[in-house]
Amino acid sequence: MVAVASKELTPAERQRFARERAAIDASCRGPVLFLMCSAVFWLVVGSFLAFVASVKLHSPYFLADVSELTFGRARMAHLQAVGIGWASLAVMAAATWQMCRLSRVGLVYPKLVVVGGAAWNVGMVLAVGGVLLGDGQSVEWLDAPPYAPPFFIAGVGIVSASVVATFRRRVERHVYVTQWYILAAVFWFPWLYTVAQLMIFWMPATGVIQPIVNWWFGHNYLGLWMTPVAVGTAYYLIPKIIGRPVYSYYLSIIGFWSLALFYSWAGMHHLIGGPIPAWLASASVVGSMMMFIPVIAAAINHHMTMAGHFHHLRYSPALRFTVFGAVTYTAVSAQGSIEALRNFSQVAHFTHYTVAHAHLGAYGFFTMIMFGLCYYMVPRLTGREWASSTLIRVHFWCAAVGITIYFTGLSIGGWWQGRMLNDPNVPMGNIVNYLLPFLMSRSVAGVLLTAGHLCFATLVVMNVTGWGQGRTGGPTYFTDKAPPARRQTAVAS
Amino acid sequence: MDRGMVIFVGALLTFSSSWLGLILLPYFKLQNEPAYVDPQGQADPYPRPLQGRAAAGRVVYQREGCMYCHSQQVRSEHFGNYWEDGVEKTGADIKRGWGNRRTVSRDYIFDRPTMLGTMRTGPDLSTIGKRNPSYQWHHTHLLNPRTQNGWSIMPSFPWLYTKEKVAGDRSDKALDVGREWTVDPGYRWRPSDSEWQAILVAKREAIVSAYVAGAGGARPADVKAVGDALVADRDGRKRLLDYWLTTREEDYQVVPTGDGDALFEYLVALNKNEVDLPEAKE
Repeated sequence: MVAVASKELTPAERQRFARERAAIDASCRGPVLFLMCSAVFWLVVGSFLAFVASVKLHSPYFLADVSELTFGRARMAHLQAVGIGWASLAVMAAATWQMCRLSRVGLVYPKLVVVGGAAWNVGMVLAVGGVLLGDGQSVEWLDAPPYAPPFFIAGVGIVSASVVATFRRRVERHVYVTQWYILAAVFWFPWLYTVAQLMIFWMPATGVIQPIVNWWFGHNYLGLWMTPVAVGTAYYLIPKIIGRPVYSYYLSIIGFWSLALFYSWAGMHHLIGGPIPAWLASASVVGSMMMFIPVIAAAINHHMTMAGHFHHLRYSPALRFTVFGAVTYTAVSAQGSIEALRNFSQVAHFTHYTVAHAHLGAYGFFTMIMFGLCYYMVPRLTGREWASSTLIRVHFWCAAVGITIYFTGLSIGGWWQGRMLNDPNVPMGNIVNYLLPFLMSRSVAGVLLTAGHLCFATLVVMNVTGWGQGRTGGPTYFTDKAPPARRQTAVAS
Repeated sequence: MDRGMVIFVGALLTFSSSWLGLILLPYFKLQNEPAYVDPQGQADPYPRPLQGRAAAGRVVYQREGCMYCHSQQVRSEHFGNYWEDGVEKTGADIKRGWGNRRTVSRDYIFDRPTMLGTMRTGPDLSTIGKRNPSYQWHHTHLLNPRTQNGWSIMPSFPWLYTKEKVAGDRSDKALDVGREWTVDPGYRWRPSDSEWQAILVAKREAIVSAYVAGAGGARPADVKAVGDALVADRDGRKRLLDYWLTTREEDYQVVPTGDGDALFEYLVALNKNEVDLPEAKE
């Protein structure tokens, strides 16, 4: 079923809605910009840490006597900075702003959101600083030293409560699918994080229960926190930018409930072959395969919404990033489901293939959509357009080419690493030597991605501090806004 | 019913289902799993909690992020296939000598945290303590892994070692390793041609005597002649340098810090195959 077709609005109605949106954006301005800017800060910090870790893996004498930047610590700090810092703060910014917009109500407790964001940032300083100075925990995704998590829990608790409070005061009675995703995510994540901390650190469970909790958390962090908000953002931005409704409302609801049910079951495929009960891994393989349902639902929906409107990608930066992310979502999820199969995992587990997959998800999908959101949202919050379409273009191509090199290199290298690890006749040294060029390709990709992030950070700083153009000049597009299609038919006829 | 309520209850139910199934069920099954006691009562219970410095070493292992390249799990002899002469075979972990049986949940009951690992940039360490308990090997390898394997991409850990002036006898904890590894700990030192010339001018006598005694194969009486011949041509100077770099620094020694010692104690305590647990049989 096609959602309600938009009826023509009178000029007076248009003005009224525009004033309403401006008032909502004004209520979000401080808190959401604070969340977004600090997210960008941690993205840049995380990029440099990633670069250090990546270089060390093929050139071990790079900064070899700096204990704070040894590979293990840089890797942990990188994951904290981009995984916990950039991702969570961007998710909170996206959730807060879109919930206000879609509920058609101003942010309820703006100052409280600032406090929540500040708490999260304090946690981040403690987490990244603590890991670098030697308090890392070596529990993947949860490496933060014990003094950081209370700040995270307080921070996300406050922001979540504020998002729910905003939703409860909604003026718009229709609840759009993006709101479904956001509400579920802000409810799931604080629970998830608290349970993981409790069972791994505060009252450690016995032996292998810890990695079980660890991967239930690690996978759900992506699946029930980053993914729903990013998919929800795509559901908001794509129709908004191209100006037509979502293709199928029912598909989006099927996608939502199947994601809620199956994604949370998928985590144990990280432990296939490990010392855990076999049925546990099997349950997760089933959950992972069932993930095809929400992924295909979202893929059809986004594609059919975009169908006939792909020419908008030529001029709209926000749309270009978002559609890149939405397409990658389909690809990376399909790959993930297949990767969870036991036969596949026998090769890919313990290798850089998994690292490539993780980055395709966290970067190619999630981060690209958050970039898209930023390009759409920030001008509306600050009242200033982006200073340079060239910088946006450089950012896009650095990101797109960077993640492609990253993914291709490590997928190929990782796959053969896995095949060789499975063959006891291949000595460890041969595997390491074989991997070197692929590890170097990752550093090249890292330089590109970091360069893109610096362009992005420059644009954000310029916009927020007032160097951008006033909004009266019209939005910063890559090219002039395309005339409403049919150019090709004109040429053909 | 209100849409908000539908979402809330639905999200609660779906999430709880995985929490019950993936977390609580294994929790009730595996929480407080007891150590294995030999039915004849002849051996100590297995496993045992880490003691003393090994426990402190676990913290060093954690903080340096060793887990991000080294797993601690041996997988089943039926896991992971490869082909040898056209025949499909399995069980590389065991065939590589990383263990003699798969590890099972009981092997980990005292691990805090349990560092199964997700990446094998380097080899598995479940049984490293049994495989290689050598003090010198581990310490020189941690100081700079290239001392043992030229191809290694593992980080050096010079901050786990102190370089000190030898006072009297060398400490028996000192690392037995050539000067190329200790002049600039963590790196591999090699003087440039001009630096080597300067060193030769200053210490030629001692360097050539050591060479003659160690690798030259000439009588000590020939020291001066051998030295003249070596220093005269480029290739000879290089041979002399290559040898000299493998000799220990005379005035300095490198010894593990408390953390370095602790990490070593942790590594040699790692033996997750110590007892043939009945449930590990396949």
